[in-house]
Amino acid sequence: MEPALAWIVLGLPLLGAATLAAWPTEPPRSMTRVLGVGPIALGFLLSAWLYVQMLGESSDDRLVVSRVWEWIEIGDLTIDVALQIDPLSVMMMLIITGVGSLIFLYSTEYMEHDRDYRRFFAEMGFFVFSMLLLVLAANFLFLIVGWALVGLASYLLIGFYYEKPPAVAAAKKAFIINVIGDIAMVIGAFILIVELGTLDYALVFEAAPDGLSRGAVEAVTILLFVGAAAKSAQVPLHTWLPDAMEGPTPVSALIHAATMVTAGVYLVVRTHELYELAPFASDLVAITGAVTLFLAATIAMVQVDVKRVLAWSTVSQIGYMIMAAGLGAYGAAMFHLMTHAFFKALLFLSIGIVIHGLAGEQSLDRMGGLGRHLKLAYVATAIGVLAISGVPGTSGFFSKDEILASAWDAGDLGRALWVVGALAAGITAFYMFRLLLRTFYGPEPGGGYGVHPHRSRWPMTVPVAVLAVLSLFGGWIQVPSGWSWITDWLEPVIGPESIPGQQAEGVTLVASIAVVAIGAGVAWWIFAADPGRRSRLAGRFAATRRLLEDGYRFDPVYQQALVQPSRDLGDYLYGRFEPDFIQGMLKGAVSLVRGGAIALRAAQDGLVRTYAFVMVAGVVSLGALLAWVVTR
Amino acid sequence: MSGVPLIWYLLLSFGLFGLGLLGVMRRRNPLLMLLAVELMLNSANIALVGFARHWDNTDGQIFALVVMAVAAAEVVIGLGLVVAVFRQRLALNVDEMSSLKG
Repeated sequence: MEPALAWIVLGLPLLGAATLAAWPTEPPRSMTRVLGVGPIALGFLLSAWLYVQMLGESSDDRLVVSRVWEWIEIGDLTIDVALQIDPLSVMMMLIITGVGSLIFLYSTEYMEHDRDYRRFFAEMGFFVFSMLLLVLAANFLFLIVGWALVGLASYLLIGFYYEKPPAVAAAKKAFIINVIGDIAMVIGAFILIVELGTLDYALVFEAAPDGLSRGAVEAVTILLFVGAAAKSAQVPLHTWLPDAMEGPTPVSALIHAATMVTAGVYLVVRTHELYELAPFASDLVAITGAVTLFLAATIAMVQVDVKRVLAWSTVSQIGYMIMAAGLGAYGAAMFHLMTHAFFKALLFLSIGIVIHGLAGEQSLDRMGGLGRHLKLAYVATAIGVLAISGVPGTSGFFSKDEILASAWDAGDLGRALWVVGALAAGITAFYMFRLLLRTFYGPEPGGGYGVHPHRSRWPMTVPVAVLAVLSLFGGWIQVPSGWSWITDWLEPVIGPESIPGQQAEGVTLVASIAVVAIGAGVAWWIFAADPGRRSRLAGRFAATRRLLEDGYRFDPVYQQALVQPSRDLGDYLYGRFEPDFIQGMLKGAVSLVRGGAIALRAAQDGLVRTYAFVMVAGVVSLGALLAWVVTR
Repeated sequence: MSGVPLIWYLLLSFGLFGLGLLGVMRRRNPLLMLLAVELMLNSANIALVGFARHWDNTDGQIFALVVMAVAAAEVVIGLGLVVAVFRQRLALNVDEMSSLKG
């Protein structure tokens, strides 16, 4: 195996982004396309090569740490510039560069009408570099560096349309909430330094069972999870993700669906050795995931903005992964992470074709009947909807069922969470079919579309087609009671994982098929069978609908409890404290000096005899003092 | 040791120094003030020479020579200033030369 490949894959996107950023003028679009897509696509090929090489190694030789040099040495703490090359990071590399290349290719066409073509690809390339650094880091320091850099890239790309105030506000919100998580992670890393004296993954995991007290390991894992929850939009730090949809759709697809927001899942799986020592933190993770997946699924039922529906469904699906990771089903979590990357990227890209075709229209109320005009988007979205709902045979079916089956086998807590997850699976089917039916089915909106929906060219359709195939068949790599390639592949990292029992598989299979059928059926009954039923039902549940539309009113509560007090404090400090106290201190110092000077100036009367007299008086008094001291 | 006792030298020196000091503080004319300063310097010389005799040590006499050199330099600068002021046709009165007062 050649570790240099990982370094090249890491460096390529940075090189591409830096070249684009440093180009003195806006480069020709063809060059931007090559410099944008090329490094990522090449990175995917090299990652695939690395994967093939790793397949040839025995499972013990698949854990490689590639150290280049020692970067920091303070006392006993040394930090290396090193990459962790193992099945988990290679899997993440394949997902990031694979889905990334498809989305980059799509963006070349989607962003064609945008004036900031170069800035878009430079920032996207920077994001891919940061994300690769995050998953390839071999110690907590570089993990946190990558973690913070993806937050920065996310901020830049959410605020891509910086002349739109909502986009700027959403970017700031995302950044601030993510920084809360970053701070928690940094504190966690400090605890590791104090307790174990190292940040190296291998050394930390080796020393943790004996070196960390129960309290310390719980504290570290909870702090790390605060970071994971902020990045992965888990309750109560989830409110930034729906707002993040202000960014361009390819950004939503790559960063806020397929890769960055799943970093929290990656973190829990990567540090699972710590979570296994911390039962309380693990339960907290699982419960947070379950609460999130349920709340987000219910919110997604009533959203009117197509991208917000997808955003809430992303929050919900990551909730499944986090729940699985908390329950110790790391293979299932990573499996769902992969299939979710496929079908959620597919959904965003195919809905992106619709948005692009309607010149930026995102409201479901201005859609309907689009299946006649945009056949490919219709078919692709339908495949995505089938996959995310977990219709048997699609990728989401296998991965979601594995999470639920693992939950069934994970004790009493697992059973309870299984119920939540199964219920939410039905809700998922409902809101996704609602999205599908209200966009593509039924009558055209009153007054017609704003513009005539136009078809897209190959750079947009080819990635959608590839992702559709992956979403349909990507789940067959891990089949219950058949084969489990994902879990086997990850075994060197996550250890041997128990396979869900026959009973769990059976119950889950029956239950999930039933809830999906019910969810989809209800969606059909409300949105397709009778055109008037939707508005009749909407009137009956007005209060509930409003609560859900506002996302359980997390935002107003945060606004009142945190944002407004901070703003008031800022206003006070700016309006009163700064002018009265800080400026007052300065003014006081100035007037003290001036007053003293005025008082002392009187002594300078310009008469030589005064000076001479003072001098003589000084000499005499010094002499007197001396005489007194000597004779005493 | 025979001759004049040390106390007379010191009394003379002290008297001259007091006269000089009085002159510096009372006079307005810079030329007279310079003369008074010379008087003070020379009173110090008398004390130095007196001590040198008393302790039978030439250090005091060497110091007196150094003081004379300093006094000569001081008179050069002082007289230069007086001439410069005089050329500006200003009154030779130190109380009126006070443009740098606070």
